Amino acid sequence: MSTVRLSQLSKHYGQTVAVHELDLEVADGELLTLLGPSGCGKTTTLRMIAGLVEPSGGRIEFDDQDVTWLPPRARNIGFVFQSPALFPHLSVARNIAFGLSVKGAKQAAIDARVEEMLALVGLTGYGARMPSQLSGGQQQRVALARVLATDPRVLLFDEPLSALDRNLRDTLKYSILELQRRTGKTAIYVTHDQSEAFAISDRIVVMNAGRAEQIGTQTDIYLQPRTPFVAEFIGSNNGLPGTVSGVEGSGEDARTIVSSGGMLLRSRSRVPAAIGDKVVAYLRPEDVVVLQDGEGSAFENVIEGTIERVIFEGPTAQLRVDIGGRELRADISGGRRLLFAKGQGRVRLGFNELTLIAAPSDSPAGVDGDGEQEAAPTA
Amino acid sequence: MTAGEMSAPPAPAARAPGAQERARRVTSRRLVDLLGHAYIWFVLIVFVLPFLTLLAYSFTGPGGTYAIQNFQYVLGSFGENLWWSFRVAGLTLVINLLVALPAAYAIVRYPFPGKRLLFSALTLPLYVPGAVIGISLVLVYNFTYHLTTSVWGLVLAMAVGTFPLMLTPIVVALKDLPIVFEEAAACLGATRWQTFWRIVFPLIGPGVSAGLMLSFIIVFNEYLVTLFVHPPEITTAPLRVFNLVRTAGLAPTTAALAVTMQLISFGAVLLFFRVFGTRYLKGTYLI
Repeated sequence: MSTVRLSQLSKHYGQTVAVHELDLEVADGELLTLLGPSGCGKTTTLRMIAGLVEPSGGRIEFDDQDVTWLPPRARNIGFVFQSPALFPHLSVARNIAFGLSVKGAKQAAIDARVEEMLALVGLTGYGARMPSQLSGGQQQRVALARVLATDPRVLLFDEPLSALDRNLRDTLKYSILELQRRTGKTAIYVTHDQSEAFAISDRIVVMNAGRAEQIGTQTDIYLQPRTPFVAEFIGSNNGLPGTVSGVEGSGEDARTIVSSGGMLLRSRSRVPAAIGDKVVAYLRPEDVVVLQDGEGSAFENVIEGTIERVIFEGPTAQLRVDIGGRELRADISGGRRLLFAKGQGRVRLGFNELTLIAAPSDSPAGVDGDGEQEAAPTA
Repeated sequence: MTAGEMSAPPAPAARAPGAQERARRVTSRRLVDLLGHAYIWFVLIVFVLPFLTLLAYSFTGPGGTYAIQNFQYVLGSFGENLWWSFRVAGLTLVINLLVALPAAYAIVRYPFPGKRLLFSALTLPLYVPGAVIGISLVLVYNFTYHLTTSVWGLVLAMAVGTFPLMLTPIVVALKDLPIVFEEAAACLGATRWQTFWRIVFPLIGPGVSAGLMLSFIIVFNEYLVTLFVHPPEITTAPLRVFNLVRTAGLAPTTAALAVTMQLISFGAVLLFFRVFGTRYLKGTYLI
């Protein structure tokens, strides 16, 4: 049981910054995911926590112990690699026993622990097999048993499912979650797969270019992205750049008016923005409703456009709508999607949920959302 | 395709020329097969004939009779020469292994300037003629180390000459071994020493054994460098063969010793493939 704290953790390779002054706190028993595109520094961060990569600066603490300069073997961690990395010349049982035997545990204790671990990952009776006789999923489960056998303080996962096929990934990610819950271990999980991150994480750190863009729960980062990167990397999004042209109402009913490409968009987003600030209004394709004749009073924003393309995907239909020279994507589900399965012509689109994010050129660090600046209301 | 072949169910008359065609093709293919086999046998004979001749000669008694007695010398008078060959080979292998393992690990796993140059320098003895190595060693031993009267002078000479044969397969094996096994071991709490002996060494086994086999065969049969640096009281088996042939011509007893040496080398190769060829990882880095 452990907490993990990273303070100002950095890694430079010559001029290249892999990780930049990362601050992070992982609670005891929490499963935290580092999510980001390849090259964002998530694996480097994990390898620094494991001690496989030396940091260029900053501190790593487990509980209150500074482990920054300890070798991996002294950190008592469990690292699950992308490949199972089972020792090919040792049987399954001896692979699981490895961590205990290098620490000089008694053979009887080792044997009992190996049996316990095999049962835990559902591979009782497989002890005598060689790794090459197991399937990919079984190998990864043995790898899990191998790290759990040493009773590590922290579990570290480096894209452990990326080498497996899709069905196996889906079942194994829940096995990992279940094992983590049952053992109550603090875990840090690295992945580039959003669905994986969303399925198992307590909290998610979205990383980009060596920095943490946003830390939060699934709903936080999906519904309230703080930076353009998060808005665009997580799920699909329509980004409509514009300028704040005014504020309507006050308190809960306050609406920020954004002028974008000749349209006035109303947003509930509580972003401190002064009139004239450049912002991007983000709109999820699934939040766009294609209106039929006479509908529309329920929406704060109604715009018109021309259907350019319809991509029928089964459960949803994807509409690409030209709105004054820009393309807006709308995902429609349910019976309504059938109306547009081969639709052409003009449509009216209604939507409420607009997330405003300061345009990147104004403030590259993103917007914090602390406090609200009042702007003079205009029509 | 002719028009006849294109018409549906082929009449018996139409099939006849096809069968002849097939027969002709089979004949020409058989001819190619025969030529191929003949070539293989020819090559085999060219390579094996000298050994068979030597084998036959080693059983020749006085006056052209058959004699097994020649081989008594192998155990008697030549026994000491074989024993020296074994000792020199064994000591050389130990020294080669002790130097090559850490050297290969450093070359593969650590970045350091001049790595390629160092590796090239270490493999230099492979390209240098034995006589040149012999002369250089005589100079070095006489004027620097005064080693000419010890078995160690001979052993070190062999080690210098065959070190690249030990180093190269180990370097190749290590390069093929993903570092993730070492990282996994370290994360599981193993020290570097434990990681090396329990994980790395078994996994590069085929490379190590290839190095051992190559070095053994070369050292066991080496006479040219030995000629330069051997102490007077030490005569290895190949040197004895050389000396005997030079002074007394090729006697059947000398042939018996040569045949024995060949059998030992052949045995080493067989043992190598039997023990290491199928263990842990299939095959070897040599073949």
